[in-house]
Amino acid sequence: MQKILRKRILRDLRENLFRYIALGLMIVLGMYLVISVVAAAETIVTGTEAAGKEQAVEDGQFSLFLPLTDEEIQKVEGKGVSIEEHFYLDYIAYNDTVLRAFKMRQDIDRPQADLGSLPVKEGEILLEKRCSEELGIAVGDTVQIGGHSFEVCGIGTAPDYEAPYRSLSDPAIDSSLFGVVFLTESDYEMLKGEHTGLQSEEYVYAYCLNGSMTDKELKEMLQDFTISAEEIEDDYFREYWDKRGGKVKDFKEALSDLREGAEELSDGVSELESAMGRMQESGFFGNSLDDYAGGVSKAAVGAEELADGISEFSDETETFIDDNFDLELSKLTGVLTAEDNMRIGGAGDDVAINKSVGLFAGVLLIVLIAYVISVFVVHTIEKESGVIGTLYALGVKRRELLLHYLILPAAVTFIAGVIGTLIGYSSYGVRIQMQDCYNYFSIPDLKVVYKAYLLVYGIVMPPVVAAVTNFCIIRKKLKKPALVLIRNEQKVTNVKNIRLKGGNFIRIFRIRQFLREKRTALTVFFGMFFSLLICMLCLNCYVLCRHIEEETKADIKYEYMYTYKYPDEAVPKGGEPAYGVTLKKEVFGYNLDVTLLGIEEDNPYFDAEVKKGQNRVVISSAVARKYHIGTGDELILKDEENDKNYAFTVDGIAPYSASFFVFMDIDSMRKLMGEDEDYYNIVFSDRALSIESGRLYATVSKAELEKSTEVFVELMWPMISTLSIASALIFIVVMYLMLKVMIDRSQTSISMMKIFGYRKKEIRKLYLNGQLLVVAISALIGIPVSKVLMDAAYPYMVSNVAVGVNLSFDWWMYIALFGAIIVLYLVVTPFLMRRINKILPAEVLKNRE
Amino acid sequence: MYLEVSNLKKSYGEGGSYAEVLKGVTVSVEKGVMCVIQGTSGSGKSTLLNCIGGLDLMDSGSIKVDGKEIFGLSQEKLSDYRRENLGFIFQFYNLVPNLTIKENIQVCEYLSDHSMDIDELMETLGLTEHQNKFPSQLSGGQQQRCAIARALIKNPKLLLCDEPTGALDSKTSRDILVLLEEVNRKYGTTMLIVTHNNSIKNMVDQVIFLKDGQIKKNYRNEQKVPAAELEDL
Repeated sequence: MQKILRKRILRDLRENLFRYIALGLMIVLGMYLVISVVAAAETIVTGTEAAGKEQAVEDGQFSLFLPLTDEEIQKVEGKGVSIEEHFYLDYIAYNDTVLRAFKMRQDIDRPQADLGSLPVKEGEILLEKRCSEELGIAVGDTVQIGGHSFEVCGIGTAPDYEAPYRSLSDPAIDSSLFGVVFLTESDYEMLKGEHTGLQSEEYVYAYCLNGSMTDKELKEMLQDFTISAEEIEDDYFREYWDKRGGKVKDFKEALSDLREGAEELSDGVSELESAMGRMQESGFFGNSLDDYAGGVSKAAVGAEELADGISEFSDETETFIDDNFDLELSKLTGVLTAEDNMRIGGAGDDVAINKSVGLFAGVLLIVLIAYVISVFVVHTIEKESGVIGTLYALGVKRRELLLHYLILPAAVTFIAGVIGTLIGYSSYGVRIQMQDCYNYFSIPDLKVVYKAYLLVYGIVMPPVVAAVTNFCIIRKKLKKPALVLIRNEQKVTNVKNIRLKGGNFIRIFRIRQFLREKRTALTVFFGMFFSLLICMLCLNCYVLCRHIEEETKADIKYEYMYTYKYPDEAVPKGGEPAYGVTLKKEVFGYNLDVTLLGIEEDNPYFDAEVKKGQNRVVISSAVARKYHIGTGDELILKDEENDKNYAFTVDGIAPYSASFFVFMDIDSMRKLMGEDEDYYNIVFSDRALSIESGRLYATVSKAELEKSTEVFVELMWPMISTLSIASALIFIVVMYLMLKVMIDRSQTSISMMKIFGYRKKEIRKLYLNGQLLVVAISALIGIPVSKVLMDAAYPYMVSNVAVGVNLSFDWWMYIALFGAIIVLYLVVTPFLMRRINKILPAEVLKNRE
Repeated sequence: MYLEVSNLKKSYGEGGSYAEVLKGVTVSVEKGVMCVIQGTSGSGKSTLLNCIGGLDLMDSGSIKVDGKEIFGLSQEKLSDYRRENLGFIFQFYNLVPNLTIKENIQVCEYLSDHSMDIDELMETLGLTEHQNKFPSQLSGGQQQRCAIARALIKNPKLLLCDEPTGALDSKTSRDILVLLEEVNRKYGTTMLIVTHNNSIKNMVDQVIFLKDGQIKKNYRNEQKVPAAELEDL
């Protein structure tokens, strides 16, 4: 029997080709979306992890005031920890682009050449991939660094610059402004010797713990490495040292001199006393010396007491100094574990959330598919109820009928799933989804990873869902006695039977039609809601990028921000001093940098009314949005270097979205941090200042910041456009499918209306315009609900991005979205009208025969 | 007796809507007999047929077909019972729309190990020339022939017909009745025909008249008229 029934499967497919194509298209689109997003995430996470292992990614890095001595290196390596110098110099190249020069590494964070080769000869460099793309530099091109020409022998990546932030406080990566190059050791030494870099050499070591120590233990060991004044070569550092530690040392030296002087005095007077004794014993002077000798003896006792006293004073003073002044300055300026390093694993972190979102969307999609299929099945079973009942009456078994009705949806969904999965994994899927990542992060070319669960999801899940849905519904339907099926008796529910008073016929008819087709209406709503969630994801992404760009431009009032390594005595003319300390605050599992910024009350660059007090701060709008903190709240920031927490009370919010700044009165902050009354380490200005590069950590200009925020929309656009189009198509398909089912179910009634003499326009009014109302109401409910849900979920998705999350829509966006939904409905309507027009008045008679 | 129905009771609804449709019906039909069940609308004739066919469950009583009791059988067992013994013809043909006439018949061919020869059956029913057409390409009478063929293909011992001519014109009705007569003669199939049509009783061996759920008349028709000669159809 199945053999015979199978013959109708192809005919059924042909007859309902458009419907099955639409169902297939929905699954293809859905699978394409889910597979491409999740597979891209899996590929990036797995691929970057594998690349990290291959390139021996560091466990962390530490920076020092001065390089480690051989003895210190041996001490660290003796503990089983591997370390390697990652010293660097920054140079301006290609207008505003800063290139960070490293010498080639052998052990840790080894660069890998995607194109060309690694530098082995003098005059060769490996250029970081993203920067090469932004600057249009290819292998064989020449790059000027520090006045020397270097040939690009390779283009590649290094795992410690996977996210090539110039500074870890940068809000975004802009590879047109910053890149990394690797040179031979001799070239590096040559550049270093010429002192032409933007600032002095940075002493950074990468380390691999090899399981022999913890980060904390290593840090404690490094903290014990102190600086010897004799080793200091850097003029700016020497100046810094003299200012901070030298004066105390001078004082200790003076004390030592005093002690020595007192001891010498005591010794001298004691010697004089001895000499006087010998003179008295000689008897040459008689008794004439007795008084004098007595005086010398008293002086000797006094001198000895003085020496003892000074010695005691000196000891006590030294103890006091040792207790209160840190004369032995630790070399260590900071330890950054790979986990906390934004430059490492950024790509994987960035897409980890895509995976969760993709899988969540996948579950929603499966529910949507199941629901759409269930509407189909119910419609089919109702339509074929008589046939099923008759076959049933003739002895055909339920399982035989079940099997028959399962085959076609299972086959269609299987084929659609396979196609969706194939497209998802093709260059139009995974590659497009990965492109955002490739456009932002500096990662090697990764081979697409095929995960078994995704293949099961894409290929097995759709037919299984179709089969299970069909099985449940058909089984339930076929539980009815054959007679009920033959008569096609429908359960009359209270809702369908509702009494409607007043109003004109059209309105009542539409309500009746809605009540009858409430399942279809619910599916339209659900399909729209699913699409709206994806659409909101795209729109939120878009508005976030736009807000960052616009607000950064509006909020930044300074032209330059100079961050000092060794501040000068006096603030440079035209500069506005500030004191910044980088602290940490966690959000959704990510430990992000927050800068506590001491500013003067009349600082012209920030609209922050800071008040005196060591626990009073004004937060930037970026901090307020990211951490959901408002005026009057408590803000706790962590100083991981010193293992301290600072608690502040928020006095207000200042409009500043470019960075996570927490503003404080500079004097209060100096007191809080134990700095001098005139200490500063940041200078803001409205023009370029002449500051020796050796004093600076970094110089950031407003233009650079603005440019870096402009790239967001550009970078996200492929994902935004792909997902928006896919979500709109899914909505169209679901809407078409469901409204077509509604028309098919109303075929007899439409046919009857035509017999009665209703015109096309009137039939449209009765059957389709009512659906417009359903779509409009669904949109009115769906838009705000999906916006609220996505606004709640979105901050998790961008939790690793150091920006304040402003997702507010302009009012016109809601109207445009609503308008777009109506337009999509109007796009579908002609197809539905065509279907209505095809229904013949004789239809009703034919079915009654 | 091939079919024995004893004290069959069947009711629908509860409380105010309770209706006892069959009130202890007892009747028997011999093998190979054509029997008509007549009665006014609501008399319970279709319900009786459906209970015999295992499509509707009786409240009490007994139905034995070929000596086997069907009361109390599960749905699965009832399905087996129908598969092995019964053929059904309804007023509406309920053909599978996207199967050809031959394929519609073949759907039930596989339900039996001793099915009839399909070509011979189609020839008997005048369907040979239409075998590759789809139901929508045939007239109502032709579709009903197909429904009869579908019911007969598995060579059922008992054919239950619920208003088989109810949707047909007089000429087509006659053709269908002639066919049923021929099938009965040729294959010895026991037939139970529920009908409103008063003329049909003249062509059958046994007539049962139901009224208000009870048998008012049950007699053998000794003066059978061939279906072709029936009047006022």
